[in-house]
This record gives sequence, C-alpha cells and structure tokens, in this order.
Amino acid sequence: MSLDIETVVISAIATQKQLDTASIKRESCLQDLGVSSLDAITIVYEVEEAFDVEISNAELEKLETVGDIVDGIGSLLAGK
Amino acid sequence: MGERIVITGLGSVSALGVGIAPFRSALLAGTAGIRNLEKIDCSGLRVVIGAQVPHFKAADFLDEALLPYLDRFSQFALIATKEALTDSGLTAGQYENAAAIIGTGCGGKETDETTYSQLYRDGRSRVHPLTIPKGMPSAAASQVSLQMKIKGPVFSVTSACSSSGHAIAQAALMIRHGLVDVAIAGGTDAPFTCGLLKSWDMLRVLSKDTCRPFSKDRSGMVLGEGAGILVLESERHAKARGADIYAEFAGFGMSSDAGHITDPSVDGAARTIGLCLQDAQLSPADVQYINAHGTATQANDVTETAAIIKVFKENAASLAVSSTKSMHGHALGAAGGLELVATVLSVKEGFIPPTVNFTEAGDGCDLDYVPNEVRFGPIDVALSNSFAFGGLNAVLAVRTFQ
Repeated sequence: MSLDIETVVISAIATQKQLDTASIKRESCLQDLGVSSLDAITIVYEVEEAFDVEISNAELEKLETVGDIVDGIGSLLAGK
Repeated sequence: MGERIVITGLGSVSALGVGIAPFRSALLAGTAGIRNLEKIDCSGLRVVIGAQVPHFKAADFLDEALLPYLDRFSQFALIATKEALTDSGLTAGQYENAAAIIGTGCGGKETDETTYSQLYRDGRSRVHPLTIPKGMPSAAASQVSLQMKIKGPVFSVTSACSSSGHAIAQAALMIRHGLVDVAIAGGTDAPFTCGLLKSWDMLRVLSKDTCRPFSKDRSGMVLGEGAGILVLESERHAKARGADIYAEFAGFGMSSDAGHITDPSVDGAARTIGLCLQDAQLSPADVQYINAHGTATQANDVTETAAIIKVFKENAASLAVSSTKSMHGHALGAAGGLELVATVLSVKEGFIPPTVNFTEAGDGCDLDYVPNEVRFGPIDVALSNSFAFGGLNAVLAVRTFQ
C-alpha cells in the first residue's frame, strides 16, 4: 500500500486539532483529543479524499478511537 | 425619541491597511489603496486593479487554530470588531449582551467558489465539510459572536452596497428603543474571487485604470474589500462608564426606489437623505459634509449629485461632498461601515477627506467634491450615503458630541 493508513489518519487529526502527531496514538480516544463532531467529519473527509473511500454516517457514529478510523478504512479498502 | 446614541469604538480593515491608524493616515494624506491585483487564480480575467487589503495574512491577526473555520469575510469582520471593542474600552462583561449586526453583500464567496470549482471544474465528487459553516452569509456575524462572546441579538443584514448602512440603522433602532445598551455594527466583504470579479466585469462598471468619482473622465468603480465596524452605545451607558465618545449617531434614513435592479434614482436617493435629516431632526443648513456613495460610475455620480441638490437646494453650494471610495475602493457590503468610520473621524477631528484622482468635474457633477486635498475645519454634522443595486438606500447622520 502506498499510503500508511495510520499515518494519514493521525496527520489529519493533528492538522485539524493543531496537535503534535507524536501525541496521537492508535489507542487515543477521539473525545480525549478534543475531536468534536464537526472535527470528526472534517477528519473523515480528509481520509476519504486520501483513500477514495466512503464512510457512512452509521460508521462515523461508531468511531471512538484513532484505531477505529484506521481499521474502518482498512476494511473498506480490503473490500474494494 | 428614545435613547440618544453615541459612537465609542471604531475598527477597520481595508485597502488602506489593517486598523484605524493606517485608514486615518491615508484619509488625511489622500493616499489611495488601489493597486494591481495580487494572488487571483482566474484565467482570462480582464480586471487588473482592485483595492485589496495589502499583503494580508490572517495569521498575523487571528489565532491560527481558528483559520480553518473563517472565510476571508469573517476574518475581516473579526479583526475589525476586535479593534472596535478594544477602542471602545468596553469590558467583556459590558458587551456580553450587546447586539452584533454585520452587513455583507456577498457572504463567504471564497469558500463557496472553492467548493464549486472543485465540483464543477475539477470533477471531484466530495467537497469540504466546512463549506456551509464557513460560507454562509451569516458566518461573519456568528464568528463575531463566538469569538467575542457576544450573546445579544446577532445576525447579518444584506442589501448589497447598503448592507452596512442598514446594519448600523438596525443597531441604532435597538439602542434607541432600549433593547440593548451596546451594539457592534457595520459590514464586511471579500469579493476578490474569480467568479465575482468576472461577474462584476460583465456589468461593465469596473474601471481599468483607477477610481475617479465625479470627474469628467471617470471610468467606473474599483472593487474593494475589508470591514468597517463601529461600537454604538446609548449615551447613558457610555457616560456612566466614562467612555471616550467619538460622535453622536444622530439618525438614519432608509428607503427603496422600487425602480430598477441596477439603475439608481434621484428621487429615491433624495427621499432617503430627507428621511435621514428628519430622523436626526436636522435641516439642510446644519450639514457641512457628505461622505458620498460616489462609486465613479457614470450613473451614480450624476444621480447622487442631483439628489443632493434636490434636498439641499441653495445650501448645496456650500456643502463639502467627497468620495473616500477613491481611496479604499468600493468594498460593497463593507463600504458603508468604512465610510461611516471616515465620517466619524471627520466630525471628531475636524477634517474632510478628499476625493482623490479628481481631474475635472463631470457633466452634471457640480458640487464641491473636495478634490485631491484634505481640508481642515470644524464639522458639526455629516452624512454618509449608501445607494445600493436594487434601489436599496441607507443614509446615516453623525453629529459632534456635546
């Protein structure tokens, strides 16, 4: 794979929340990172753009950790 | 008549710079902010000049974390509001329940056009999720509320080039009737986008060289951008806190031509000036200065001159009438705000900003347009005219505070 999913997701969160990428871990809870629902849709948009996938509203609501986004994208890509 | 209203704070962003200090200096020196356009990605654009905020970097004035949420028109509004509130000396607690009425003619067009360009030109299927909250015409008003923690009546007013005038009149009404003690009002616009520039160009009203209001060789308007914001306050509230008062906000006139979607009307403009004088309990002889709408289009300058003569009759000859658009360009929804700031400075400090680039009076333009040189002397009463496309008119009056 040309793009590492975790790197893209962490970078999108870091940009949106003006955080250091090193402070964001796979296990980090989105809420603890201060990710609001508006932040979440912006982050998901960046990730959708990077991987050309579509994350449904239902899936979006289930996201709790950074890892959830990474795994979700991974399974979407696997199903492509 | 209700509460008497005073002006206690000024803020501006324009082609003359960011802040009241460069704005005031340019008005005094007669320096224009019209230049070759910078940073416009737009193929086949025939417009080459504009009155843009010079070398504007939002991060120099606003928290970088906020910028993803702020269209350029919201950035201008926020910077000017912060300046006006600081200038007023009001504490956060004193403006918490204020009104904030922000005029805009265009809204967040930079945001909208970026999205539409991605969709329609680049063929992308997905657009940025902040398009709506950044681009909505009320975004600037909302951001002023959010960032300054202003919790009173907050909304946008839109009436093209009279947006600021109507916003300020609305704010004055609220104070006059005791709804609020403090109101932040004015306007903001950021029209230097490819779509807007081309659309304005197609109306064939944009100048190719410069802005020469009321001159024989005038060649049209020059688009501008920025924000002009004022703090209005009941006299009672301002005095109770020992505020420095710039001027009294004496009154306003509002009317619509119900005539033509682009052509101005002598009767409509004259009626609005008359309504303003009536509201402010002034007679024509009381007024020394009019900050004109003065766009430098063929239609406006003759019509506005005729309207002024219709109202002021024999007093018109001794009136000073200048267009500061010759310096800060036509900032559309921000124009009336910037021009009221200029008018307030004029009354407070006793100077009349000139109409720059003036060559020779145009046909039907036979008033004293204060050509090219600032004039000093006491101004007791001054008006600021806004006559918008669609025939929507607003005229504001300020008076020396005594």
